[in-house]
Amino acid sequence: MSQLDHIRNFSIIAHIDHGKSTLSDRFIQVCGGLSDREMQAQVLDSMDIERERGITIKAQSVTLDYTARNGETYQLNFIDTPGHVDFSYEVSRSLSACEGALLVVDAAQGVEAQSVANCYTAIEQGLEVRPVLNKMDLPQADPDRVAQEIEDIIGIDATEAVRCSAKSGLNIEDVLEDLVAHVPAPEGDPDAPLQALIIDSWFDSYLGVVSLVRVKNGEIRKGDKIRLKSTGRDHGVDGVGIFTPKRKETGRLGTGEVGYIVAGIKDIHGAPVGDTIVSAKHPDTAILPGFKKVKPQVYAGLFPVSSDDFESFRDALEKLSLNDASLFFEPENSDALGFGFRCGFLGMLHMEIIQERLEREYDLDLITTAPTVIYQVLTRKGDIIEVDNPSKLPDAGTIEEMREPICEANILVPEQYLGNVISLCIEKRGVQLDMQFTGSQVALKYELPLGEVVMDFFDRIKSASRGFASLDYSFVRFQEAPLVRLDVLVNGDRVDALAVIMHRDSVRRRGAILTEKMKELIPRQMFDVAIQAAMGNQVVARTTVKALRKNVTAKCYGGDVSRKKKLLQKQKEGKKRMKQIGNVEIPQEAFLAVLRVDD
Amino acid sequence: MRQLPPLSLYVHVPWCIRKCPYCDFNSHQADESLPEQDYISALLNDLDHDLPWVQGREIQSIFFGGGTPSLLSANAYQRLFVGLRNRLRFAPDIEITLEANPGTFEAEKFAAYRDIGINRLSIGIQSFQPEQLQKLGRVHDRAQAQTAILTAQRAGFDNINLDLMHGLPGQTVADAMADLELALSFQTTHLSWYQLTIEPNTEFYKRPPRLPEDDTLWDIQEAGLRRLQALGYDHYEISAFCRNGQQARHNVNYWQFGDYLGIGAGAHGKITLQDANVIIRTQKTRLPRDYLNPDKPFLAAQHSIEPDDIGLECLMNALRLKEGILVEQFEQRTGLSLDRVAAPIARAQALGLLNVDRALYATDKGQQYLNELLALFLTD
Repeated sequence: MSQLDHIRNFSIIAHIDHGKSTLSDRFIQVCGGLSDREMQAQVLDSMDIERERGITIKAQSVTLDYTARNGETYQLNFIDTPGHVDFSYEVSRSLSACEGALLVVDAAQGVEAQSVANCYTAIEQGLEVRPVLNKMDLPQADPDRVAQEIEDIIGIDATEAVRCSAKSGLNIEDVLEDLVAHVPAPEGDPDAPLQALIIDSWFDSYLGVVSLVRVKNGEIRKGDKIRLKSTGRDHGVDGVGIFTPKRKETGRLGTGEVGYIVAGIKDIHGAPVGDTIVSAKHPDTAILPGFKKVKPQVYAGLFPVSSDDFESFRDALEKLSLNDASLFFEPENSDALGFGFRCGFLGMLHMEIIQERLEREYDLDLITTAPTVIYQVLTRKGDIIEVDNPSKLPDAGTIEEMREPICEANILVPEQYLGNVISLCIEKRGVQLDMQFTGSQVALKYELPLGEVVMDFFDRIKSASRGFASLDYSFVRFQEAPLVRLDVLVNGDRVDALAVIMHRDSVRRRGAILTEKMKELIPRQMFDVAIQAAMGNQVVARTTVKALRKNVTAKCYGGDVSRKKKLLQKQKEGKKRMKQIGNVEIPQEAFLAVLRVDD
Repeated sequence: MRQLPPLSLYVHVPWCIRKCPYCDFNSHQADESLPEQDYISALLNDLDHDLPWVQGREIQSIFFGGGTPSLLSANAYQRLFVGLRNRLRFAPDIEITLEANPGTFEAEKFAAYRDIGINRLSIGIQSFQPEQLQKLGRVHDRAQAQTAILTAQRAGFDNINLDLMHGLPGQTVADAMADLELALSFQTTHLSWYQLTIEPNTEFYKRPPRLPEDDTLWDIQEAGLRRLQALGYDHYEISAFCRNGQQARHNVNYWQFGDYLGIGAGAHGKITLQDANVIIRTQKTRLPRDYLNPDKPFLAAQHSIEPDDIGLECLMNALRLKEGILVEQFEQRTGLSLDRVAAPIARAQALGLLNVDRALYATDKGQQYLNELLALFLTD
């Protein structure tokens, strides 16, 4: 049991690649949380996808005992946070369990926009932010410049920032010393009735729902009866403990501590993130401030290639949503693609990850339609409708006004790429709000249509700046815009799943590129396939996939048939990944062709 | 009891002077001297193991394929024939084909081949254009090609096939037609005119040559077909053309899902077993040195065709023929009732790819898109 003043709860704020995972691995090593044998690189990223992509998606925690140079042993609770812009809502959740945060900055690269945004969130939540300059082992490390940049851009004092290298192990203990010295101990009343915040919940097939909690007041013991404020239901606590990062049963969590509880809850909705846990004996204990409910930013239709897979697809989505409260889905019926689900995602990366997990972990073959943001429609009757599916856009005649979501984007870019990034913002219909020159980076503030930003802006801005520019954005409002729906017709039939909403001015250009892309993606068939892009009844672009003139294997002497058969099988496999629309076979990628019109 | 299909014999000769970059057959570069006599002994030994599969049938045709069968001497073949006749009953009108390379070294043997009973030659011309022959890695030149054909004709061969490719790297319609005209000028009875395809495990696959655009390929094909039709050639199979009804009987047996024994390194066989009521496919040991090693078995693989695959495997061959296959023959040779493939047949008919009356045969469209048609018969 730790005294309150010997507990430190902290997060790490860092941009992807700035070394957060390596640094946290070092902490675990220094504090002896895992033996060397168990130290698999980046232990905290436990999903395969996380390790493969080198990103963190879900928050996790680890409790470490650190014996400081003053001889005292401190309990350090480190709550890991995701680094990608799509998952920034998870960051604020993690931060609310902490009194401090380490701002880890690559001493060679400098500050990135998302770290700035997360840093502000941390400061707003009253956290002590301690800058750390990492990657000091790199020859191009320039700690003085980067320290200055931290002061200029974020406005916190970086003169004391520890200079370390997680990779080489340089000054790792200094980081922990700084943390113990400057991050405040948690406050709370150990004798008060229990009050704990659910930071995250996930579904474990053996244990049921496991919740990561921060105890604010009182304590939780195994066997206690607890009540969840949101559901009003009582549960007996079956297990309490910490992650070291292995799960370790302690039987108790005291005030100020961070750990897990298992309480026989079968359904993730029974322990929602942000909920308050109190003692069933004191059900009237006040609710803690929770979290803003996160809203999906991007919507797309996902359809099983084979209609037989619909039920297993539903099961898979339900299972995924157990661990991902931000995943939204509801049944959708498309004329072209049959039964599927309209899914809401936090961003494109989130969408890709979900799609990949569905295909990989649940062995589903899926067609994804072009992602879209939510548009608002003001009808002639004065109603406001939100549209998350272009094919559901009401008749043009009934629309008084179309509105698109606008976001405020903060971009940090090294000066030499400023021109490229500004051009990109202009191309995306951005309105500049601010531009600040600080150190060697420029801080840009733009208002941009969210629809332009969520699609490929992040990747485009990265390639326009050789990977150095960084981005953070948040929704601000809906705003009137001349939006239209671009339909795609295949051999005269409108394909609902291919419709996209876009700015009127770009209809012709994008229509032309889109039909060209579709032409590249749709294989030649036994007949001509006409592809048209239309706005209402007006065709704006047209291409034709000329008929295949023959498809026959030239020479085939009976001897060995297996190769010939393999060829046919390959051809058939290819067709399985295509969807038959009328009598035209359309490959999966064609449904996402609209994403590639800016390539 | 099930009636057995006709039986042919395939003999593989696995050596070439040089491997061609487009060739994915089992061929190996020949050393200075070939182990001719050892190989003949091995072939006969190999055949001895296969004799139970003959099941009383006559041999309708023999095909010596390669590799380059014309690398072996007439003497060697003579000894082989003695051994074959001791073991097998030859049909009175048996067709015996030998694949020959049109080099001088080979052409010198044609008369002797004829004398020992080989009655059909298949000459691998591929192209008459010097630069194409070079790209294709052929060891002969244009003059040798022409001499070889004339030599074969003078030796008394009245049933000669020429293998000719089109769709060659950089080829234009005019180039292809010039090659075709030259081949036709020899008035041979049979022509195998086929498009170059790049197969895995070939030099071309590793370093692909620049092939003509699809539209050019199709133009070549259409121009060639028009020309062959005008000259009265019977386009009886996708890539095979003949006159005077002189089809390649050995190949027709393959296409009609007949049986064949395969002997020699890497040879494939297909046998219907009457007692077990199954169809098996066999493959012999591929590498010549293993094939010649008395301690190693000849047979490398054998499997019976899954009942679900029999229909497809039959039609993959039969629908290449203009005439297709008689319904009765289909049922006899596959051991399946036509109902077994009723669903894909219906789909194929609906798509206008297949006709069904007394026979199953591809429509013109079905011939053109044969792979689409066959894919319908694939089971999952």
